[in-house]
Amino acid sequence: MTISASRKDLASAAMFLAIGSYFTLEALNYDIGTPFRMGPGFMPVALGGVLIVLGLIVALTAFRGPDTDEPTPFPWRGLVLILGTIVFFGATIRGLGFIPVVFLSALATAFSSRANNPIAAVIIAVSLCALCLLIFVVGLGLLVPWFGPWLRF
Amino acid sequence: MDLIASLGLGFSVALDPVNIFYCFLGVLLGTLVGVLPGIGPTATIAMLLPITFTLSPATALIMLAGIYYGAQYGGSTTAILINLPGESSSAVTAIDGYQMARQGRAGPALATAALGSFFAGTVATLLLAYFAPPLARAALNFGAPEYFSLIVLGLLVSIALAHGSILKALAMIVVGLLLGMVGQDIYTGQPRFTFGFRELFGGLNFVSVAVGVFGVAEILRNLENEKTREVMVKTVKNLWLTKDDFRRIVGPVVRGTAIGSLLGVLPGGGHILSSFASYSAEKRLSKHPEEFGKGAIEGVAGPESANNAAAQASFIPLMTLGIPAHPVMALMVGAFILQGITPGPNVINEQPALFWGIIASMWIGNILLVVLNLPLIGLWVKMLTIPYRILFPAIVMFACIGCYSINQNIFDVYAIAIFGLLGYLLIRFGCEPAPLLLGFVLGPLLEEHLRRAMIISRGDPMIFLERPISATLLGFAVLAVVIAVLPSIRKKRDQVFVEED
Amino acid sequence: MRSVLKHSILAGVAAVALAAGGAHAQDYPAQPITVVVPFAAGGPTDTVARLVAQVMSEDLGQQVLVQNVGGAGGTLGAGQVAAAANDGYTLLLHHIGMSTAPSLYADLPYDAIEDFEPIGLITEVPMTIVARADFEPETLEDLIAYIQENGENITYANAGIGAASQLCGLLIMDALGVQMTEVPYQGTGPAMTDLLGGQIDMMCDQTTNTTTQIQAGEIKAYAVTSPERLDNLPDVPTTAEGGLNLEVGIWHGLYAPAGTDPAIIERLTASLQTALANETVATRFAELGTTPVTEGQATPEALADTLSSQIDLWAEVIAAAGVSAQ
Repeated sequence: MTISASRKDLASAAMFLAIGSYFTLEALNYDIGTPFRMGPGFMPVALGGVLIVLGLIVALTAFRGPDTDEPTPFPWRGLVLILGTIVFFGATIRGLGFIPVVFLSALATAFSSRANNPIAAVIIAVSLCALCLLIFVVGLGLLVPWFGPWLRF
Repeated sequence: MDLIASLGLGFSVALDPVNIFYCFLGVLLGTLVGVLPGIGPTATIAMLLPITFTLSPATALIMLAGIYYGAQYGGSTTAILINLPGESSSAVTAIDGYQMARQGRAGPALATAALGSFFAGTVATLLLAYFAPPLARAALNFGAPEYFSLIVLGLLVSIALAHGSILKALAMIVVGLLLGMVGQDIYTGQPRFTFGFRELFGGLNFVSVAVGVFGVAEILRNLENEKTREVMVKTVKNLWLTKDDFRRIVGPVVRGTAIGSLLGVLPGGGHILSSFASYSAEKRLSKHPEEFGKGAIEGVAGPESANNAAAQASFIPLMTLGIPAHPVMALMVGAFILQGITPGPNVINEQPALFWGIIASMWIGNILLVVLNLPLIGLWVKMLTIPYRILFPAIVMFACIGCYSINQNIFDVYAIAIFGLLGYLLIRFGCEPAPLLLGFVLGPLLEEHLRRAMIISRGDPMIFLERPISATLLGFAVLAVVIAVLPSIRKKRDQVFVEED
Repeated sequence: MRSVLKHSILAGVAAVALAAGGAHAQDYPAQPITVVVPFAAGGPTDTVARLVAQVMSEDLGQQVLVQNVGGAGGTLGAGQVAAAANDGYTLLLHHIGMSTAPSLYADLPYDAIEDFEPIGLITEVPMTIVARADFEPETLEDLIAYIQENGENITYANAGIGAASQLCGLLIMDALGVQMTEVPYQGTGPAMTDLLGGQIDMMCDQTTNTTTQIQAGEIKAYAVTSPERLDNLPDVPTTAEGGLNLEVGIWHGLYAPAGTDPAIIERLTASLQTALANETVATRFAELGTTPVTEGQATPEALADTLSSQIDLWAEVIAAAGVSAQ
């Protein structure tokens, strides 16, 4: 598909419209209130409206001409591994405990770079695990079990 | 008691070897912990607070103050080196500081931050010594309408943060403002945009958002094209400032100090605006505004000075009125109380040695900070030579653990991932994250003050124009817009003339 | 859908917690104990917790660590302790909010009575009714008349839904049968700022936050909400003296998760009593404008009584005022 418009601008416009619409629609469920006692819906509805308008203007400006720079490749591997790891960390830190979670997370993150081979990744994970344990748990007294309740039977 | 005698008393306390030692220890620990990605001053102090329990009150508070500026300085170091701001003020430092680091100028950037902070700290300490009580009084004239107008002014002025499309920057501010609305509405208790999760009632955590849109997004961008592009720093050119650098930072440091000192005294959110305001001012005044966002040293010097001046000045409402201006100061109140001292108007009279001792120690703390950090610059810069493939897993881990440790709230960790993705997409689409963060920190304040002002005025919006300070601030806001729009009007007019010729 | 997911997660956590439980009482405590404070570090509740924890550490021979789990009016931290292992190593130190949350929050993930074992009361911080320095009324009697006359024209600051400052205000309005204009703040710190600046008329807050300002003459104090006058505010009358029928205090209690070994509870109660008898704790409490409760109050029975009667009391007041946090 060839359009004579800036993909970047169109994409950001779409994002602004999406965010603006979500906040506005959701906020319409809340009380708007009166000028004297504004309700919880007042500001989000107003700001969401502003964002929708801005999104429309950005969309219009997109048609001034296409982007000049080449789009860069999408780092799928990094996206999945890094974002997945962060979610994994949050979901398991209380259950699995510090050492297993940090080790596994560091391992997965290290793998998101193609520059790391498996051995390097394991070395990075082990050393990071030790370092973090030393700094946060021993040094700063973060209250988290070394091995969590899911591993204790 | 006159000032000289008071300061003499203060220095006799602050120069006590035990106090100097703990001040140094505080600055050192603060720097080391503050440097960890994802951990800002609030988290640092919360974690180190228990260490001070066993000390005498003056020593404990001197050490805590040391931890505070150490942490603040450490946070700037992380922002500059790896683009991971731990609080809103260092988010501004990250804009140009990180670009400097990428150009191999991490050394000068760190040195500028240290020198700027030292100058600002010195001036703000003097200010505190001379004018604390009257300044605090004056700040009380700021009520909800004044804060609302101040924030509007701040938002409009800060459009200068953008170095690309102004339109997108505006939209990003609004996105930030909206994200700031997430959580329980303080007026009605209504949970908003929480998807029913109680963990989101307190709103999104600033550190998660900042670490996501700055740090994680940057990592993702660096992973885009690993084969063809050397991601991290080019060769480190020099560690110290050149003559030209010195010339360039003098003005920003002085102006930043002035802006920070003024805004920092306001307990209702002035300190947040200080570094953003300073950045905007420098960009407007610069002969080369196009360099901002691409590694302008002024963009580090101004905000860092403003931030440190504001940090110091925010002790004014705390020590003279007992009012905490921000979460760090609230922690300090807790520390005071644990030491058996309730901060308030009486401290200065009932505990002069303590009051002046802390003030004097602030200055000593700033000296120690410079002494400690200038030699450390070499070490920090060395850290950048660690291959990126090793560095970034460490950044991700530190960020996760750091964010989790603040509130033990796993949603703060999830938020990093969500905002990492959002930040990455937005950068791809040519939008910058700094305005989003500004909107995010100011959003709740804007709403809170607007609604409170309207309640106090019983629904009459004229309150913003009837109160002189508020009206003046709004006047400035209009002026800022006019100045921003003028060049483009002039350009169009010039074009019209060209066509007529 | 969402709540199903949430509940199944909670159930999972609870199941795991049960599986991991079953510590032996005779060698208790064998590891550091965590006291969860469901509010931010540095606040008044946190201060109380840290003072008590310090002495309890010495008494128990194990560190007693304070962990701040703030959010959602204290219900997040309380929920976390309710779901924690009942081995005596995770405790909750909560204030009056323990008894108001059931009325304010429709779907609490825990039951304030069923899910906890009370250990003992700690202290009751009295509140003060204060106003800006140039507020017209001079005495409590004047104030009552003034409120009845001016009602909604008076701005009353509070720290948001469910905060003690709001509850106290509800009681005043309830007692006088008049509405004032409530102005919520993000905590009593900013509210005090506006009171000092004369931006707002009145507030009712705990002595911890108001005593120094009152002593310095920066704000006017009309009454303390305790049954007797306070040592460090001898000139301020009690509400009863001025004919205002309300008594309220921010009481603090220590809890363990339900099902904790009675022997462990007994040990903790004894340790709490030791801490409250400690001289330093008493001195620091006095500086906060409060006193430790008597030994008879620092017991599971006294805390259980207080909790259940307060839950009933606030259910009524909160329903009458039509307040809800969601």
